[in-house]
Amino acid sequence: MSTKINKFKIFFLSKIKTCILLKPFSFFLNILFLSSIISLLLVSLNWIFFKANWSVINSNLSLFAFGSYPPNEQWRPSLWLVVLTFIALITIYGPKKKWLRKNLVFVWIGTVPLGIFLLKGGFGLIPVMSQNWGGLTLTILITSCSILFSLPFGILLALGRRSSLFVIRKSCSFYIDILRSIPLIAVLFFGQLLIPLFLPYGLEIDRVWRAIIAFTLFVSAYIAEDIRGGLQSIPKTQLEAANSLGLNKYQITRFILIPQSLRVALPALTNQVIGLLQNTSLMSILGLMELIGIGRSILANPEFIGQYIEVYIWLAIVYWILCTLMAFLSKQLEKKMSTNKGY
Amino acid sequence: MRLNRKFFLQIFFILILLILGWAILNNLIINLSRTGIGFNFYWLSKPAGFSLAEQPLRYSPSDTYAWALFIGWINSLKVIFSSLVFATFIGILIGFARLNKNSLIGLISAGYITVIRQTPLLLQLMFWYFVGFLNLRNNTFLNFKHLINFSIQGIDLFGIKFSSEFSALLFGLSIFSSAFIAEVIRGGILSVPFGQWEAFRSLGLSERKGFIKIIIPQALPAFIPGLTSQYLNLAKNSTLAIAVGYSDIYAINDTIINQTGRAIECFIILLSSFLILNLLITNIMGIINKLIIRSRK
Amino acid sequence: MESVLIAKNITKSFSKGINALNNVSLNLEKGKVLVVMGPSGSGKSTLIRTINGLETFDDGELNVLGIKIDSNFDEKKIQKIRRRVGMVFQQFNLFPHLTILENITLAPINVQKRNKNEVKEFGMYLLAQMGIDSHAKKYPNQLSGGEQQRVAIVRALALKPELLLFDEPTSALDPERINEVLDAMRILANQGMSMIVVTHEIDFAKEVSDKVLFLDNGKVIEISSPEIFFSNASHERSRKFLNQLDKN
Repeated sequence: MSTKINKFKIFFLSKIKTCILLKPFSFFLNILFLSSIISLLLVSLNWIFFKANWSVINSNLSLFAFGSYPPNEQWRPSLWLVVLTFIALITIYGPKKKWLRKNLVFVWIGTVPLGIFLLKGGFGLIPVMSQNWGGLTLTILITSCSILFSLPFGILLALGRRSSLFVIRKSCSFYIDILRSIPLIAVLFFGQLLIPLFLPYGLEIDRVWRAIIAFTLFVSAYIAEDIRGGLQSIPKTQLEAANSLGLNKYQITRFILIPQSLRVALPALTNQVIGLLQNTSLMSILGLMELIGIGRSILANPEFIGQYIEVYIWLAIVYWILCTLMAFLSKQLEKKMSTNKGY
Repeated sequence: MRLNRKFFLQIFFILILLILGWAILNNLIINLSRTGIGFNFYWLSKPAGFSLAEQPLRYSPSDTYAWALFIGWINSLKVIFSSLVFATFIGILIGFARLNKNSLIGLISAGYITVIRQTPLLLQLMFWYFVGFLNLRNNTFLNFKHLINFSIQGIDLFGIKFSSEFSALLFGLSIFSSAFIAEVIRGGILSVPFGQWEAFRSLGLSERKGFIKIIIPQALPAFIPGLTSQYLNLAKNSTLAIAVGYSDIYAINDTIINQTGRAIECFIILLSSFLILNLLITNIMGIINKLIIRSRK
Repeated sequence: MESVLIAKNITKSFSKGINALNNVSLNLEKGKVLVVMGPSGSGKSTLIRTINGLETFDDGELNVLGIKIDSNFDEKKIQKIRRRVGMVFQQFNLFPHLTILENITLAPINVQKRNKNEVKEFGMYLLAQMGIDSHAKKYPNQLSGGEQQRVAIVRALALKPELLLFDEPTSALDPERINEVLDAMRILANQGMSMIVVTHEIDFAKEVSDKVLFLDNGKVIEISSPEIFFSNASHERSRKFLNQLDKN
């Protein structure tokens, strides 16, 4: 018993030591710190402007954006990306009219089938196989499709976990706990491998769709937990009031529970979206040509061999910008939602 | 009346699950028999036939698949627990630094956190491995009195050798997790009510003493849930080892599936390993939680 | 009579030009009790917090027990003041992870560097005076609100302060508990402690205070003796405020 307390005291002491190291930041230490930061900055700037060869990025911009999409048809993914940017701008800076707010959600949902149509083709547009979808376009497509499917599934799981029916409650808990224990790459890998095995012979599913299904199954478990947190934050008095008004369970869920829990869970949900965007990079290990996959194939090109640093820094910048934009978008959404409802 | 309705709903739900399950399993069986593989675990005792770069225990290609999987499990544990310690250490430093909002060190740590959190882990790992260790080629990065040595072969610390794959994974995982841990630490300290800061200040206690004796003990319980989930994430993220060529349990699993085609069995093995890892970490953190609560009484 | 506190033209503004304190001046002599009253948001808490450096101010001069501070935050001087001036908060702010006795002895041992045993004895003595020495080994959450506040008073007293500041000490208490705390404060006043009390308790103010200061919107509206203030206040606003308090 005393050895346990001793071990804990050691753990405690190490925390104290780090505190003492940091707190008194004397003048001399400050100068030392500042000069090392400045020299680091100078070295980086020198490299960026004089030593690095940025042509690897410039000559491959279309690859990064569209993958191996046929050049004549590249207007289609670019159109989709432009539409997405436009809708994002409206969400942030648009007028505060009620009809706009209500329909915005449907517009966002609609961008997904629009994207699939534009990319895939058919109905007058030349069909383009999914092998040729790549780069930024593919990253955004996978992210948006997966979110679109996993949100409702996650909500259903969260509600199921609270169900009074034993079987439903236990199955939802089981699903959520299992999916949250496995690493994502395992889910993706086994998705690619096993989904075909579970389907009747002859029905083939394309690799991109297998990836989207795997992501959906994975992320919905996490979304379910975030929404559960939101549901738990709703005070019981609200349920009592709703019940005394005569609302039935379905109405209470639809009008009171879900809107409020979504609002509370919004920051956590944003983190899921950002995480998903970053995790699409794992598909490069499994053979899809999203952003990092494109980066790797460019580096394999003998013309650009060894230019790791330029490519990686470029990719890091692209991801960083996308994640920051998403975080910004969600903050704006938060503001809009709270001003709308008046609290 | 209500009881009957609930009962039938559940029966209905189970029926749907069973039908779905049967349809899926049926397809599975048909497809498996078509490829002629079947489902069993006997192949575990057959010789593996592939070599491993990372060998904490003796291993040769003539050892069994089961032994190869065990080596992978040890490798995973090695890198996960070292990264946990390293990440926590860095995370605490950065978290404390982040608390000094307006100073230079606060801004730098804020910048660190935002860059690390908003770029994919895979990219960071590739950076540490390809740009970091492999780039060193014939040069050594750091050679401190022949005691500490960073080179393309990895790290040599007082005679203990770590491969470059392990080192890249260690650095990548630790630095990635440290950014999240820093936010957990910061959140925990901020969760202590402001009145406590005022109380110790008005008693004349210095900032440092007050921080150590009053704030930190109250912040410790707030750290535990956040740290637990970050540690679990770190354990799951360690599977990216395959991207840098480190033979952890997932990588070996992958090799075996490529060789034997036994996807379902390997999936079950991987699933069980991670469930065990999950339970391990959650329980250790539970014990630490109890220790903290006990020491306060 | 020497002064424990002389404030000259203390001014503090938050952003957007809102004045928390506007040219506040006052003088408190040793052994006297000053009660500060005013509507919420009038700057009472801000004023009392400038005295021990929990708030800074933009203009003016404070002379606390002979130590002069101005708008520059001089850490060393503030620390000196804090060793001689005690404060009791509205939310008690006891340290939840320490026992009552530990709460009380922490500062005297670490800040004033006094002998451990002497501090413990003195702490127990003070607790006994308050009637709560049986709780010495308990934790704050095991005590009632009134008991916790009395512990907070003892915690401040253990430093043997020359001036005690009270920031609405009874506002967070149940009505039944208020009196035990007010009684403790009455005893302290009778023993000659210099005190500045921000409160809404009129009866306490009438009985115990030597001077009443009325603040509104950061400005001193009037300073007078309790007899004058409560029966025949010189200012229109003071009378309005008292009427409203009376209604409650």
